[in-house]
Amino acid sequence: MVSDTTAAEIERRRAEEAEAESADIDRTPVRTYWQLVRQRFMKHRLAVFAVIVLVVLATYAIIVPTVTGDAWRTTQLFRDDAPPELFSEDGEFTFAVLGYNEYGQNLFARLGKATQTSLTIGLAAVIIIVVIGVFIGSIAGYVGGWVDNLLMRFVDIMLSLPGLFVILMITAFFGQGNVWVVVFAIGLTGWTTAARLVRAEFLSLREVDYVQAARALGASPQRIMLRHMLPPAMAPIVVAATLGIADSVVVESALSFLGFGIGRDSASLGTMLQNARDYFFSGPLKVVYPGVILILIVLSASFLGDGLRDALDPRQRVEK
Amino acid sequence: MSDAAMAPSDGVVEGEQMSGGQTTEQRAAARGGSAAAPLLEVDNLVKHFEIRGGLLGISKLGAVRAVDGVSFSVTEGETLGLVGESGCGKTTLGKVILRLLPPTAGSVNFEGKSLFDLSSRELKAARRDIQVVFQDPYASLNPRMSVGEIVGEGLYVHGMTNKRERESAVRDLLKRVGLNQQHIHRYPHEFSGGQRQRIGIARALALRPRFIVCDEPVSALDVSIQSQVLNLLSDLQDEFQLTYLFIAHNLAVVKHLSTRVGVMYLGKLVELSDADELYQAPAHPYTKALLSAIPVPDPTVRRERIVLKGDLPSPANPPSGCRFHTRCPMAQEICKVEEPPLRDVGGGHMSACHFAEEVTPLGSE
Repeated sequence: MVSDTTAAEIERRRAEEAEAESADIDRTPVRTYWQLVRQRFMKHRLAVFAVIVLVVLATYAIIVPTVTGDAWRTTQLFRDDAPPELFSEDGEFTFAVLGYNEYGQNLFARLGKATQTSLTIGLAAVIIIVVIGVFIGSIAGYVGGWVDNLLMRFVDIMLSLPGLFVILMITAFFGQGNVWVVVFAIGLTGWTTAARLVRAEFLSLREVDYVQAARALGASPQRIMLRHMLPPAMAPIVVAATLGIADSVVVESALSFLGFGIGRDSASLGTMLQNARDYFFSGPLKVVYPGVILILIVLSASFLGDGLRDALDPRQRVEK
Repeated sequence: MSDAAMAPSDGVVEGEQMSGGQTTEQRAAARGGSAAAPLLEVDNLVKHFEIRGGLLGISKLGAVRAVDGVSFSVTEGETLGLVGESGCGKTTLGKVILRLLPPTAGSVNFEGKSLFDLSSRELKAARRDIQVVFQDPYASLNPRMSVGEIVGEGLYVHGMTNKRERESAVRDLLKRVGLNQQHIHRYPHEFSGGQRQRIGIARALALRPRFIVCDEPVSALDVSIQSQVLNLLSDLQDEFQLTYLFIAHNLAVVKHLSTRVGVMYLGKLVELSDADELYQAPAHPYTKALLSAIPVPDPTVRRERIVLKGDLPSPANPPSGCRFHTRCPMAQEICKVEEPPLRDVGGGHMSACHFAEEVTPLGSE
């Protein structure tokens, strides 16, 4: 039997413990989930650097084509392979810091336009990939059963087709050279991985206690999916999406390089590489410029993906 | 290793740590005894998980019999403890009662109304009355939601859409479970295990339920925190007239809270009786083995220790006859052939053993 003194003693000690614990929490400021995400992300040096690189590239892709206007496609035969300059001989501001190509086109302006095209295609394709992938994947993962079976076998079929050839066929069939056809071709073939990812996340989240608790509270399926399952599933999706941008840019370049992508009347990193192919030895810089941009996009996207993966994981603790 | 040997780790909650020193009878008496009609009736509940295989995953290869014909009832205001080793189906049973898993067969009545025949609207209403506290305080709280959002979710879902109203209700709940109201905007990762479990309890309480399934609510906590949470649950029971189904793998934890205790083995209830009766005079050799695993906080006491041989058989392929016969020290020929029914062995003490009358109290040999 418990004596009164020990019971009182225990009561007092428990109160003290609770007090100490809450005092411990009170000393740290309230930090929301997103504040923590930012703190974790900032600790990831490479990812921060990647963001800076991507911002610089995006700025370049937006500003230079706007400022230089048509310079990226204006052919000036008398300026073929002309050296770099800021002003032309007649004092006109040209901003041709990378010189001219064999058609006398301003390489700096052309590279800006190409970066713009490639980044646009990459982003737009990824949006399609994420939308379709999240939709199909969340239905398969949440509903399960034969619906899941059916959708996933369809994904298997999609995955068994060689992606690049399907894209080639779509672009060849539906209007070669159109940017949006390329975007849709990449988007429609690329969503399978995202769908699998989301499905896997949903399948495991379905059994997690806090999702079960929400069901026990009577929350609707929509609320459970949007509030409890999609946010944690978003972390891998965001990571996959950043990597998807890199993939899409590369696929577009490959398409254009093969002559099925963006037409010659436009410019992308792929068309620039294709044009430069013939001058690999005489003018290697024409290959290097778009190549470097391509590498920068791909590397930055994957570093960004790494950083986001760590930052979005709520289990990672931030030390002060 | 014998599974029964896993139990002792939580044993320290026994003894003087329980506040007030109230015995189980006193607590039951305070709540008006157990003469009232049952609040929850589980009748022959079966839950099988099918093992599918084959090319398309359609052909049935067998079934894991997680819960295989369990019947019991819980009276308003009482606590039914449910113990058994890992994999015996106790958590599955809880989830079926909560309608988190579809049943294979059987029925569960809440206030005389079958929980399995409800429309989705009725089910949502019924969910207000039946809530759950989960085992793992780390997995049971959404890390992306603040304490206020977590505790207030049930209120929101059931129509309390006014934010200010909800916040004051949440603050009140936090106070009742012993948490600082200032922490309403904090996130789960900032709290200790015991505090998180309090948040989970507050969430369960938000809808003012009448029945709470406590699914091993203290198994994941430090021993020193366990008693705090158990005391809290006991206090809340008095305050809100709650009825508990208290699931645990440890008889010591169940002892202080339960008015009655059920023991499960491989998907079946093997013994069900008043708590004190079960501890004093077990009528099933499995219960006796579990009891012998509870450590006694007195080094001079020598006690018989029954170590069960072998592992828990697979619930996909349970033994014939009595499911416990493969590990039972008292097993006879009949046990391999004939399955013993759960029968009254005197004074409402139910046991599923052919030789229930011959089971001696612990330490009598």
